[in-house]
Amino acid sequence: MIVGVIIGVAVLLVIVVGLLLSRGGPRHEPGVVSFRKHIDALSPEARRQVMDRVRPEPRDESDEHGS
Amino acid sequence: MARDLAIDLGTANTLVYMKGKGIVLNEPSVIALNRQTGEVLATGREAWQMIGRTPGYIVAVRPLRGGAITDFEITERMIRLLLQRVGVSRFTRPKVVICVPSAITEVERRAVTDAARRAGAADAQLIEQPMAAAIGADLPIDEPIGNMVIDIGGGTSETAVISVGGIVALEAVRVGSFDIDASIQAYVRREHGIAIGERTAEEVKVAIGSASVTEDESQAEVRGRDLMTGLPKTVVLTPEEIRFAIDDVISSIIASVVRCLAKAPPELAQDFLVRGMYLVGGGGLLRGLAQRIEKETQVPVRMSNMPLEAVVMGAGHCIEHYDALKGMFMGARR
Repeated sequence: MIVGVIIGVAVLLVIVVGLLLSRGGPRHEPGVVSFRKHIDALSPEARRQVMDRVRPEPRDESDEHGS
Repeated sequence: MARDLAIDLGTANTLVYMKGKGIVLNEPSVIALNRQTGEVLATGREAWQMIGRTPGYIVAVRPLRGGAITDFEITERMIRLLLQRVGVSRFTRPKVVICVPSAITEVERRAVTDAARRAGAADAQLIEQPMAAAIGADLPIDEPIGNMVIDIGGGTSETAVISVGGIVALEAVRVGSFDIDASIQAYVRREHGIAIGERTAEEVKVAIGSASVTEDESQAEVRGRDLMTGLPKTVVLTPEEIRFAIDDVISSIIASVVRCLAKAPPELAQDFLVRGMYLVGGGGLLRGLAQRIEKETQVPVRMSNMPLEAVVMGAGHCIEHYDALKGMFMGARR
């Protein structure tokens, strides 16, 4: 009876530790995926938002001539 | 929740980009301190106006010189004040990406990240200025094409070849537009016997300075202190004199560009001939510099659309796409 409980607890511990190890370690993306993400983030389309945010707005022609 | 920040911590100017907002701060990298108490009296533009014009107990300094940190404690205080000015407090802890010269030492690297963390950043990462400049200059660095960028700052000049999202060749010299100002100061002192301040030297450079002969050249009147009599004196400087005075600095910058071209793989060399090199940074605005580099390297030189903001825009893009681009940060590639 006691031996059965001990074996049961040991099996349970092994399962819990196994689960923790499989989830806790750093998950690395495959090189191809992370490289593609890196390159896509540097594309002109991805950069457009920052460029538009900083680029001075074109002056309104009507303001120059006085409305 | 604080908005993440990108900082271009330049020798001459500091720019801050806020995620989702754009550039929120653009000021000279100057801090004014009370020499006796160590209290900060002013930063940025206000402190810049004090350079060379302060009473004995006040000192207005640039904590970065030649792209290097000359005073760690003052640099830390300046970063802290900058972050406070853009809304960072102990309760709002943003991620920060800081642009630094590529030639920065390990000690300086740690000092900058530690200073940012102590100033309230939750995480501080560094990125090389030429890499950030290439992103900000909107070059197609995601493609297998040779992109060459020359970043001439206040204290450093860096040339980099970038392809497929990474640096292929890099060359840096600790010479920049402040060295041009210092050369003008030294020339006026030696040849005309008058002492002028660094701000006056900068004004002369902006007014009549050039790296090669340009159209519509004019002379400039310069006022300073006569070294013999101690009295105020005015002299007239010509563009030829200034070209002669700054020639050593210009030659040193061009030599580093040539070294970078020589380091680049031959497969990329043909791209430079077709696409040219891109000039960014305040030093790149010197009249005739693009033409002089073009003449000496036989490679076309183009000016970036926003030369003063390109570096912080590149770092700003990294903060907008932090997870995808964290492999670009210094230390991440080891």
